[in-house]
Amino acid sequence: MPCNETMKKDFSVLHLDCTVNGKHIRRDVPSNRALLDFIRLDLGLTGTKEGCGEGECGACLVLLNGRAVNSCLMTVSHIQGKELVTIEGIRGRKGGLHPLQETFMKEGAIQCGFCTPGIIIASEALLRRKPDATLEDIKLELTGNLCRCTGYEKVLSAVETARDKMAADPDYKEAE
Amino acid sequence: MSEIIFKPCSLKEMWEEMPNLPESRKYMAGGTDVVTVENAGFPSAECWIDISDIPELAMVREEKDHVFIGAGVKLNDLEKYPFIKKYCPALLAAVHDFASPSLRNMATLGGNAGNASPCADGVCALVSLEATIVLRKGNSERKMPLRDFFTGPKRTKLEKDELIYGFEIPKKENLLGQYFKLGPRAFFGISKVAVALSAAMDGNKVKYASVAIASVAPVPLYAAKTSEYLTGKELTEDTILKAADMARGEVSPITDARSEADYRRDMSGILLERALRSLTD
Repeated sequence: MPCNETMKKDFSVLHLDCTVNGKHIRRDVPSNRALLDFIRLDLGLTGTKEGCGEGECGACLVLLNGRAVNSCLMTVSHIQGKELVTIEGIRGRKGGLHPLQETFMKEGAIQCGFCTPGIIIASEALLRRKPDATLEDIKLELTGNLCRCTGYEKVLSAVETARDKMAADPDYKEAE
Repeated sequence: MSEIIFKPCSLKEMWEEMPNLPESRKYMAGGTDVVTVENAGFPSAECWIDISDIPELAMVREEKDHVFIGAGVKLNDLEKYPFIKKYCPALLAAVHDFASPSLRNMATLGGNAGNASPCADGVCALVSLEATIVLRKGNSERKMPLRDFFTGPKRTKLEKDELIYGFEIPKKENLLGQYFKLGPRAFFGISKVAVALSAAMDGNKVKYASVAIASVAPVPLYAAKTSEYLTGKELTEDTILKAADMARGEVSPITDARSEADYRRDMSGILLERALRSLTD
């Protein structure tokens, strides 16, 4: 995607051109729009949460070109020309729930649910990159996600179950 | 947020548009420091220049006598390069301990240096690697040892509009590297103190050593005396303890919200001991 044309002389407006959850978006936005506000307020995708607002808790994680990033510390300019996926865009290969979502529910890896979108995003980023991630890999990947309810044990075991489920499912075997 | 954000595609476009931008302007790469400070209620500039996707700043290459790392390379991308593994082991060790996986998908070494915090993990490792910082402004370029770039907490020798372009790390054969960081939790904390060690061994003899320490001085500290003392010594228990004491003498820590001066001083020595012992493991 050409990165400019996006900015003509008026620096206060960004001619945003990107993909959000598989949908192409082209619109003018204030160039200083915070990414999290753009996602939650402008697009109405409220699954992405603001926890700490300083990158410590991971509740705001989204996938940008397949990698987990903290949307609370980004501006809309950061997603220009890129592919953004929020928790609303996470789903199973054949539609329906993603194995991570299924196992989190089934194994009770959720209590209040506020941290869950961020944890699902971080886990998805890891399993895409490393389908055979070990428990240690999962722990390291989730070092930027805080959960104040579950104590993490159920979260970790749910990610392991999802990993095994995905490894056994031919739909997920062909990694991207 | 700033009032406006300008996102150039290339450095050429950026320098061309510079005169049309508000005088109060600042570079932003990943945003992890710039936005945090702004969110905390300290406005930094009217205009931010988003340099996060400028291809020239994302270059990494191996030259004859050094490795070049562009200022805009995302930290998580560094481990992809075998020559960075070979010539910058202390840097990869520091990246492992740097913030969280998602922040490492955003953060850059240029931002780490530009933010000029004495606790910067990436910078501390680069100082131990004797990196040179490369600065650009329009068509002019200047370089200086990274350790001389900082003038105080959050202060550097950058001139107005001068851009951190990248880092040159001299190639040293059989280089070992360690980064020992002490924070409030095992991962993802800002350091109370951290020690970067780059060294080459010849049997039990230290052929070369370079020590940098974070969070113990107004700038990321290059421990010159300790480094000089270690170079050429047999790595005995006595050498290790003397070097640790020497490091304690080189630091000038303060007591603040994160830790206390005495503790930082003592741990500077202890972490160096651990790093030195790991050389012969």
